[in-house]
Amino acid sequence: MAQHEVEIKISKTGEVKVHIKGAKGKACLEYAKWLAELVGAEKNRQLTSEHYEPEEKVRMDLKQNLGLDE
Amino acid sequence: MSAIVILTPVIIGSWPVITAAITGAAAAMGMTVSEAVRESVNEKNKEKVEAKTVEVELEHSEVVAKNLSADKEMVVTKGDIELRIKRDQKGRCTICAKGIGHSEVELKAIAKEFGEKLTQVYIYNKVMTELKNKNFQVVNEEVNDDQSIRINVRRWVD
Repeated sequence: MAQHEVEIKISKTGEVKVHIKGAKGKACLEYAKWLAELVGAEKNRQLTSEHYEPEEKVRMDLKQNLGLDE
Repeated sequence: MSAIVILTPVIIGSWPVITAAITGAAAAMGMTVSEAVRESVNEKNKEKVEAKTVEVELEHSEVVAKNLSADKEMVVTKGDIELRIKRDQKGRCTICAKGIGHSEVELKAIAKEFGEKLTQVYIYNKVMTELKNKNFQVVNEEVNDDQSIRINVRRWVD
């Protein structure tokens, strides 16, 4: 199970800013498309740094044994 | 992953949907939806009191009005200011502001402000309805100092 979050800000003039969080790859873009069709026309799209992160994070701890402790 | 999308609103709705937004916008601006008041304003006009009139077209709007005649209108008032929101011959939504003792600039500003509020309420109603249809849970909802509305929603997916 994954949690998808959407923050929607409707300005005083009706312009809408949508921040989609948690949806990966295609799902994220599908949300953007769905909301664009719902509200009107897409003016701008910005992929945040989170977008470019890998879907699964792998952490590797590398330890080099130089034999100095002995 | 994450994305930020900026969207320009387009109003396309049936007359009942538009009237719901008009009612919401009127309430938010402390205005009253009233035919009765409209009649009384008209009575004043009959007394030959000069009232300026300004008409503003709502940008990117289309009133889908099947089986409804053009020039269907709704009247909202506040004090001596009267706004008539109607569907014109082209199917667009227009706001006509009229008021005794107000300049054209003032009336235009009032009509524009009402148009913006109408757009905001229309988009809010539409977005909230669709979010519920998609099983989103509203986590937080607030009106900011700049009159913008912020809605936070979430849902769990497989």
